[in-house]
Amino acid sequence: MIDDLILKLKKEIITELNLETMTPDEIDAEAPLFGEGLGLDSIDALELVVLLEEHYGIKIRDRKEGSKVFQSIKTMAEYIVDHQKK
Amino acid sequence: MKFKLIYPKWKKLRGQTEFHLPPHGPVVFAATLPREVEIDFVDENLETVDFNDPADLIGISMMLTSQVKRGWEIADQYRKRGIPVICGGIATMLHAEETSLHADAIFLGEAEGRMEQVLDDFRKKRLRKVYDYRTDFPPIASVGTARRDILKRQLYNYKGIQMVDLFHASRGCRFHCYPCCMSFVGGTEFRPRPIEKVVEELTAIDNNRLYIVDNSLSQDRAWEKQLFREMIPLKKKWCCHPIEDHDEVLDLAAQAGAWFVYQAVFDTSDFIRNRIKRYHDFGIGVEGTILLGLDRHTEDDIRRLIDFLLEIELDLAEFTVLTPFPYTPAYADLHGEGRILSYDWNDYTCDKVVFQPKQMSPERLQELYDEAWKIFYREKPQPYRMVELFKRVIDMEMADGSFRRRQRARANTKFGRGEI
Repeated sequence: MIDDLILKLKKEIITELNLETMTPDEIDAEAPLFGEGLGLDSIDALELVVLLEEHYGIKIRDRKEGSKVFQSIKTMAEYIVDHQKK
Repeated sequence: MKFKLIYPKWKKLRGQTEFHLPPHGPVVFAATLPREVEIDFVDENLETVDFNDPADLIGISMMLTSQVKRGWEIADQYRKRGIPVICGGIATMLHAEETSLHADAIFLGEAEGRMEQVLDDFRKKRLRKVYDYRTDFPPIASVGTARRDILKRQLYNYKGIQMVDLFHASRGCRFHCYPCCMSFVGGTEFRPRPIEKVVEELTAIDNNRLYIVDNSLSQDRAWEKQLFREMIPLKKKWCCHPIEDHDEVLDLAAQAGAWFVYQAVFDTSDFIRNRIKRYHDFGIGVEGTILLGLDRHTEDDIRRLIDFLLEIELDLAEFTVLTPFPYTPAYADLHGEGRILSYDWNDYTCDKVVFQPKQMSPERLQELYDEAWKIFYREKPQPYRMVELFKRVIDMEMADGSFRRRQRARANTKFGRGEI
């Protein structure tokens, strides 16, 4: 199930962050989102916060929580699963 | 006729994150030129002036005292090439005599309805040395929609995010603030633009985020309420100078898209504490403009003030040192008392001590100024606070469906510069 969610997140990130040149297969779910990995920046981080709010109704409250959630697409998926259970 | 309009560069505030907003004076001025004039606008903060590019007439638009020396250099260069130069803008008014030494003509005052005559004089080679309309304001209804089409908009874009567009709904200011020259520049009578003109211009701006640059919106309650009511359906989000502390006014401002205000903070009084709280109560952010170096400021006062800023949870703080700009009450006092240490206008950047403070040495005030930035941003650094403030506007836009994502294609550009 988490694999389905990871694929869905990859597609959403490609669309919402306009990463049109990438395909879901090219994105490593465990690679860091920022810097060396996917190469996202601080404004992308803000857009990911918006994506979680819009698509999953999840609010990221602070920077600490954000840096835990946005390590990789996998950590995002795990956070969504965990959060939606509650 | 090719009119090259130049906005000279200046040294930005040390300590502040780099940003560049599209200038307001030049686009408002451009609207006063006949349509057949071809305008080539150059913002020297972001572009290089090409002195070999042909032009019939050079306009130099200067807002800040720290722009004038560079403006004079540019004027001198063009005049050496035989191209006439006219200077205008707020800083030209503040430094009229010195500027006229470097220009064929200087224009003092507001340009609406006057440029046809000036251009006619130019064509007939009889430009006057001074066009002085300082006390002769044109009808406020003659202020048209600013010519934002002369701007290279991609220059005012940070990683795909378009900077706010500047806009004004009124001129003149009935307040006489100590460090401010606006009563000299725009007069002491508050002159609101007709609301229909304001709405017409706001509608024409292709940007949902604005900076309303009026000196203070807190000048006339009935006008302020009417302005905000008319703005509600436009769904713009904006920052501005102070809004009146009044329940209905603040509520309407919030509904009209007030994002954050620039509020002067000069002491640790309950008045200031309450003022900031009231904005926050209505969901409006606050960037404090903190002025250090007033005669009553001791070292302890300045330290207490910085702690106070953190206590009242200012969203952002911009620290400035009192700077005695010409035609301000501060200049009258400090110049009169022989306490001005530098008349080098390049030093008038608001982050340098150019006068003898009353309670300490200039060096000590300079140290305290530098410390202020560090202490305020120690726990929560400036970029993080800016992201928080940016998130606030995104939340507002998401709530009313006006949110637009950034231009991803520009994600690797910064103010017109290529790959970061």
